[in-house]
Amino acid sequence: MNTQRKNYDVVVIGGGITGAGTARDCAMRGLKVLLVERYDFSTGATGRNHGLLHSGARYAVTDPDSATECIQENMILRKIARHCVEETEGLFITLPEDDLNYQATFVQKCTEAGIRAEIIDPKLAKIMEPAVNPEIIGAVKIPDASVDPFRLTMANVLDAQLHGAEVLVYHEVVELIIEQTRVVGVKLRNNHNGETFNVYASITINAAGIWGTLIAQMAGVKINMFPAKGSLLIFGHRVNNMVINRCRKPANADILVPDDAVCVIGTTSDRVPIEECDYMRVTPEEVEVLLTEGMKLAPSLGTTRILRAYAGVRPLVASDDDPTGRSISRGIVTLDHEKRDGLAGFATITGGKMMTYRLMAEQVTDLACQKLGVTKTCQTATTPLPGSEKKPELKKYSFAQKASEGRHGTLDANVKHGDVSNDALVCECEGVSVGEVRYAVTKLHVHNLINLRRRTRVGMGTCQGELCACRTAGVMGEEDGAQRAINDLAGFMNERWKGMQPVAWGDNLAEAQLTATIYQGLLGVDKLAKERRLEYYEI
Amino acid sequence: MATETQTKNVSVNNFEQCLKCSICTVYCPVSAVTPLYPGPKQAGPDGERYRLKDKEFFNEALKMCLNCKRCEVACPNDVHIGDIIQAARIKYSTQKPKLRDMMLANTDFMGSMASPFAPIVNPMLKLKPVKGILHGVMGIDKHRTFPNYAHQKFETWFKKEAAPQQDQYRKHVTYFHGCYANYNYPQLGKDFVKVMNAVGYGVHLLEKEKCCGVALIANGLAEQAKRQGEVNMASMRKAIAKGHPVLTTSSTCTFTMRDEYDHLLGIDNHDVRDSISLVTRFLQQLIEKGEIKLAFRADYRKRIAYHSACHMERMGWVPYSTRLLRMIPNIDFVMLESQCCGISGTYGFKKENYERSQAIGEGLFQNIKEVHPDCVATECETCKWQIEMSTGVPVMNPISIIAEALDVEETRKLNEK
Amino acid sequence: MKFDVIIIGGGLSGLTASIALAEAGKEVALVSAGQNSLHFGSGSFDLLGFDEQGKAVSEPIAAIAQLSEKHPYKKVQDVEKLAQQAKQLLEKAKIATFGDTTSNHWRITPVGALMPTWLSVEGMVTVQEPNQMPWRKVALINIQNYLDLPTKFLAAGLRERGVEVDVKAFTLPELQALRQSPTEMRSTNIAKVIEQHNLIASVADEVNRLTSNDYDMVLLPAVLGIKSNAQADQLLQLIKTPANYVATLPPSVSGVRIATLLRKRFTELGGTFFTGDQVVEGVWEGETLKGVKTAKLDGTVLEANHFILATGSFMSRGLAADYTHVYEPALGVDVDDLGLDRTNWAKIEVTDPQPYMEMGVKTDANLHCERAGKTIANLYAVGSILSGHNTIKRLDAAGVDMLTALQVVHNIVK
Repeated sequence: MNTQRKNYDVVVIGGGITGAGTARDCAMRGLKVLLVERYDFSTGATGRNHGLLHSGARYAVTDPDSATECIQENMILRKIARHCVEETEGLFITLPEDDLNYQATFVQKCTEAGIRAEIIDPKLAKIMEPAVNPEIIGAVKIPDASVDPFRLTMANVLDAQLHGAEVLVYHEVVELIIEQTRVVGVKLRNNHNGETFNVYASITINAAGIWGTLIAQMAGVKINMFPAKGSLLIFGHRVNNMVINRCRKPANADILVPDDAVCVIGTTSDRVPIEECDYMRVTPEEVEVLLTEGMKLAPSLGTTRILRAYAGVRPLVASDDDPTGRSISRGIVTLDHEKRDGLAGFATITGGKMMTYRLMAEQVTDLACQKLGVTKTCQTATTPLPGSEKKPELKKYSFAQKASEGRHGTLDANVKHGDVSNDALVCECEGVSVGEVRYAVTKLHVHNLINLRRRTRVGMGTCQGELCACRTAGVMGEEDGAQRAINDLAGFMNERWKGMQPVAWGDNLAEAQLTATIYQGLLGVDKLAKERRLEYYEI
Repeated sequence: MATETQTKNVSVNNFEQCLKCSICTVYCPVSAVTPLYPGPKQAGPDGERYRLKDKEFFNEALKMCLNCKRCEVACPNDVHIGDIIQAARIKYSTQKPKLRDMMLANTDFMGSMASPFAPIVNPMLKLKPVKGILHGVMGIDKHRTFPNYAHQKFETWFKKEAAPQQDQYRKHVTYFHGCYANYNYPQLGKDFVKVMNAVGYGVHLLEKEKCCGVALIANGLAEQAKRQGEVNMASMRKAIAKGHPVLTTSSTCTFTMRDEYDHLLGIDNHDVRDSISLVTRFLQQLIEKGEIKLAFRADYRKRIAYHSACHMERMGWVPYSTRLLRMIPNIDFVMLESQCCGISGTYGFKKENYERSQAIGEGLFQNIKEVHPDCVATECETCKWQIEMSTGVPVMNPISIIAEALDVEETRKLNEK
Repeated sequence: MKFDVIIIGGGLSGLTASIALAEAGKEVALVSAGQNSLHFGSGSFDLLGFDEQGKAVSEPIAAIAQLSEKHPYKKVQDVEKLAQQAKQLLEKAKIATFGDTTSNHWRITPVGALMPTWLSVEGMVTVQEPNQMPWRKVALINIQNYLDLPTKFLAAGLRERGVEVDVKAFTLPELQALRQSPTEMRSTNIAKVIEQHNLIASVADEVNRLTSNDYDMVLLPAVLGIKSNAQADQLLQLIKTPANYVATLPPSVSGVRIATLLRKRFTELGGTFFTGDQVVEGVWEGETLKGVKTAKLDGTVLEANHFILATGSFMSRGLAADYTHVYEPALGVDVDDLGLDRTNWAKIEVTDPQPYMEMGVKTDANLHCERAGKTIANLYAVGSILSGHNTIKRLDAAGVDMLTALQVVHNIVK
């Protein structure tokens, strides 16, 4: 495959939600597609946000266009990505320290954007969401929901594949191949073995998030990006069952989202140099801000175990000198570099939000189709993603089966249940069975434990891998070399620790000591691991 | 602000203190005998996290939990695993209790129905055809023999024979006798009165006593348990107001009223809790303080093996009883290894649980046979049935042993001063 | 209630101190808040596995002499003698071990690493020299679907050292039944099932069926014998090839057995056990600890002449850390937090020596605790709660537990 010239209609760069959605849309319109990702899916901003299915209300006042896009996409995703979305609904609360007059403006702007916003009695709000700060003086109910970005990305990738797209993970674009004034393909490096090769395409779509600026640079094109770091904290269980937002202009740590079995508070927003985007760490100051502000939304966060801290970088397109990026539009930016820079065969899709990925994909696919003379229209708004065809009925299943169906929707049919060797749980916190591991390893582009975690939640529970990581490593990749598997295990434990370290006090510190006692004292995994693979994709 | 609130870092949700170390699994008597039970960790803290997400994650197999609380005693991180499991059953279970369960659960109702007819009921409950019906129709295991119903209830005896003399004492206690002493084994109550009178305490009963409700909770009748609990608390408040502590002879009743009322039923018992004590603990504390003395018969000899009943273990009160028993001069005292006997109240009476129940107790039965005691001492009445049925060794409440060994006259004299 | 000595903490250090004091005729009470870290054990007792440069230790006594002054071993007067006593204490509790202080032997971990250790429970697999495996061909026999022995890693570890390894697995109907539980196919449940159904002979048959004289060693997961070694020993005798046990992921059956036998020994010596209870405060008279109050005993004060704090480190809740401080939660004695604020307790790489691991309570040369800077003459600390060493990096947990406990017993009894 290395020397053979491969031709595609479209190469999509970036395995985040935008890239995956674009690959799906292109494939559904009959284009021959290659999706390339330098590491794993959802390693960038896609996997490092709130998991919030915005209603758009947050942007109604400051960014009405984005708000309208959000609510439209919100309603679409509820239908096409049912197994990735939990219809929690949301509240915008006003605290005594906030200006209650803002509420009226807020509701009016929401209504204008098409977002159903209903002012409710704070007493009712407290009944609907008992975790909410009891001091609230105002509450508005809006159609927020929670969404699992890992699942959503995977579902888009799977559907792209079902429509004929090819997918390469751990393949990094190291060069854009330019002939005269046209991008004709990309040079790829296999990040596992270092081999490079070229692939050719009529159109190259840059969907690399914040790293898109570096891709554009390869073609000598400048995109003025604004890398805005956002930090978040994950709590050990669900404190709230509705999304809780502050009813004021967007600020730090003013959204609390219930995600799967946890809840997430965020975010902060600070501009960071592009070089730092690969090495995000949450600082003690950020932890302090997140906790202090988070407790204003739900006071019980102050007495809830924190599991980990993480940070992502928003791919905002810079427009002014706002130091935080809060006032930059979340609007979608589609760049036709032929028109903009005189460079044909190259387009960039950026800005936007995870929330509006489908629309972003549609817009850039429209552009590609137009260039390629394809007339087929976009079907992604109405065609359910794989796994979301019908609503699951949980009742009849075992714990693991319920958990697995929650993660894979109808694709859970591919997970073997009901025989003893597949039903055994490797991860008891998250109910991950041997069968689910086997399914993920064979069908979902799993190369290591961290990939597996993104597909199944293995090691994402309370203990962050204390026993399950070793069990899972023993089960997965039987054909793999043991040495590679032990290196992988050591890398995984290090990755888990990176999220725990900024919040290492209380039960978390006790957990860390127990885990170290098992992995280092009892097992000696650190003595066996020969390689310390600490590249970004392991993080 | 964060600095202040995260200072304790103790979650109000106790389940998340769980470090997932799996120690509870080692000490769960159920998970080793049936693969159908998910085990304490999964049924408790792991499951709870997911039940908070979606109640559909509740599993009816949680009813297999004995509520022995051995997981809680073993947990190094103070996670109330048993409470989490029982609370989940109360909150999420959609199964209605069967007639059999209602019968077993309503120990006082059954007792008050059966006692007047004890001469007829007792032999009847032992008849093979009756047992067959109970087994086949009702689901009460045929191996079980219902404890005899007494011909005369303890309360009746007390009012007739003991009550008139009680006011002559300077100091007073109130006795919560429980269903077992009342309907099945009044001798236990009589032993209690004998010892308390000997050390100079008058004994009184509660204005109104209801079954503590432990069997109701176990059989999915939490609401009824709560109503009965409220009645008990109200009566106890009156006794306590008179300065009478409330004493018990049953470890399970004590544990239920002190801890389960608050943890599972939401009964506010904070003003009563500390005044409820097991009689052995009460006596032991008075002896420590030098307020009372016990004199024992010199000729009393027995090999006594002490069995730590699950709820006794959970309360952490075993040393009170064992230190008291060890004061009897010529006994041969052996501590049995602490493990569950398998009966767990009404659990072992159900035919679907019988084999499991016996398998759980096997370790204890073996241990008793090896030790070969004259009697086993324990504060739990259902342990008594189980151990007697399974080993043939008689089982006595420690207070009955004290009563038997006591030199009443000498004790009275010692405590008159 | 009044005792000669009250020990707070029922892990290896607390049990060692309790037993030794009871043996010395003291009236002892032990307050234990749940089970202990023996449950995460390896079936061996480590004395000193790695020196402060990270080098594997072969002669522990010599290496202990080289440790820095802050290490708890520096407060143990005669390591060799007390180590001997520790081994005898275990023996009297019916825990038979092999090994001594003159040279470490090596335990084989569940993932196939070799770790230097001091004493190992009879039946556990160990080797004398890490570079010289005593076997040519090993049969590694697991129980089907038992996930807590990752045979792939273990086999690879042995092969790396030149041993030929065949991995096999067996099951029995009773174990098949246990397999139906997705969560409870754990070591101790396997042990209980084998015990309950008397399966030793059947297990031996299965193992013999899967092996032949071609193997010079059979390795089995250590999932036998919660209460005594009898069944584990019996199985090894019934297997025709020389056979040994290899440690598994927690819970450790051999660890549970050690804990059970030590508790039994203590009870037989007449000790009083307060189980599942925790000390919540001390009753002080000036700089003397008069008694302790617990969570379960309401107001009852447990009084004693001497007290020993053996509550372990963070994972055992002997130490606690909140958002700003590290403290000792039971009695509020002084803690050495290395002078670090929270952001420096933990380092970024998981395998870095973590500063929090070295935190512990402050003690004087005789292992007395301090409170508000003043020495408490009748309160001692032993085991993992002591500051000044990183248990995981040094591999010294069991040694520090037992030797500091025996040292304090010596200090009290003399």
